Amino acid sequence: MNQNQPQSSSSEGRADDDSALSDFLASLVDYTPTIPDELVEHYLAKSGFQCPDVRLTRLVAVATQKFVAEVAGDALQHCKARQATIPKDKRDRQQKDRRLVLTMEDLSKALREYGVNIRHQEYFADSPSTGMDPATRDE
Amino acid sequence: MALNEKSKTNSETLIPSSTNTITRARPSATDEFGRSTAKIAVAQLCEATGFHAVKDSALESFSDIVIRYLIDFSKTAKFYSNLAGRSQCTVFDLLRAWEDLQAPLGFSNGMKEIMNYAESMPETPFAQPIPNFPVIRERKIIPSFIQMGETPPGKHIPAWLPALPDPHTYIHTPVWDERVSDPREDKVEQARQRRKAERSLLNLQKRLLLCNGNRNRNESTETTTTGSDPDEDVAPAVLPVKLPIVDGDRVSVLEAFAPAIEKLGGGGVLCDDDDEIDGEKTVIPAATARPTVHFKFKSGKKFIGESLDDRNKKRDALHTIFLVGREDERDDKKRRAEYILRQSMENRQELTLL
Repeated sequence: MNQNQPQSSSSEGRADDDSALSDFLASLVDYTPTIPDELVEHYLAKSGFQCPDVRLTRLVAVATQKFVAEVAGDALQHCKARQATIPKDKRDRQQKDRRLVLTMEDLSKALREYGVNIRHQEYFADSPSTGMDPATRDE
Repeated sequence: MALNEKSKTNSETLIPSSTNTITRARPSATDEFGRSTAKIAVAQLCEATGFHAVKDSALESFSDIVIRYLIDFSKTAKFYSNLAGRSQCTVFDLLRAWEDLQAPLGFSNGMKEIMNYAESMPETPFAQPIPNFPVIRERKIIPSFIQMGETPPGKHIPAWLPALPDPHTYIHTPVWDERVSDPREDKVEQARQRRKAERSLLNLQKRLLLCNGNRNRNESTETTTTGSDPDEDVAPAVLPVKLPIVDGDRVSVLEAFAPAIEKLGGGGVLCDDDDEIDGEKTVIPAATARPTVHFKFKSGKKFIGESLDDRNKKRDALHTIFLVGREDERDDKKRRAEYILRQSMENRQELTLL
């Protein structure tokens, strides 16, 4: 009996999950994710995912959308945090710098938690000796 | 709202770039269209998250990662379905793939996370309708041997294979020109037609001058010629004069040569201008007094030829003044014209045929 109970509870849990899932899939027919269906289908076909059901493609689209939203949210946090630490007058910051821009810096910080390591070039130089001390440069 | 506008402009700048990539006449092996669409979608999502703007480099990297995520997700799902011995994927394959992806982020609650997310997020559809892609171009299939009605050359080739190309595509077969064209004949024909045209031109000019001559004779009472048939007067001394230029100077040259013409027994001045046969009557002024001879020539053209003195002599028929500046072909035409005139003068009966 003791063994049965957790099994039944787990099976009930699974049944709940299944029902929730089926409900969710039913609701997906109405929901239009931001990532268009055609795009998702193209990349699914490219990688060999075969499914004629539109709900599954919508599911994949929603999952990807969630990923993007999470990363963007993290980047936003980083951006806001950086703005808070820059020592500037309050007047300037409130008027101009409230503009939130997604930069490579914030993005790389956000993506590092997801296992994606991006290293962005900080600046591009004309030659190897650019920016060096003039005294040390060979003239 | 201003925020919406800014990010809309950001995504709008993406849209023309994506259309630019589409219009390039190149096979989409580089997947430009997919990337551009992904960029737009990602920009829209960033805007929904709260960003005011997105840097270009950041957007490109981000969309690249999103595409890879999508491919990764579907590959994992496909892997699980194949593992179960199926070729088509089900929702459970997706579920397993999702857990696989979420594993590094900690314990996953199954699809519940997705469900929660979907319910929480307001629905923001994609900015533009996009067509089904990639567009498959219809390829022309080479018909098989059976379809062509041919038998394959060789027993080792089965008949259902595509037919071999026609021999003229890879062997140089001689081509004969059906049309018979004799260049010499063509030239002769051309010359004949030209002569005909010139003859009719000359005839027209003669007729014009005849009319003029008649009019002038009637007007002026002090002409040198005495009691003569206008035809007779006109006919013997037809003088083809080559005029220097087409426009405007015809009359002046006529004026100039009028005395000479009168001396010869009256006649017409032939204007051999191919361009201006408009039936315009050139008025030969009455030669009561000898007007001063004045020549009007355009610059650059030399006047070479016999002087007027020669013309005063009663010579046989024709004097021609050739001007430098004509092509040899024109000289040839003039010579022929003289020849025709000579002939016509010799046979006066032919005048009625004019």
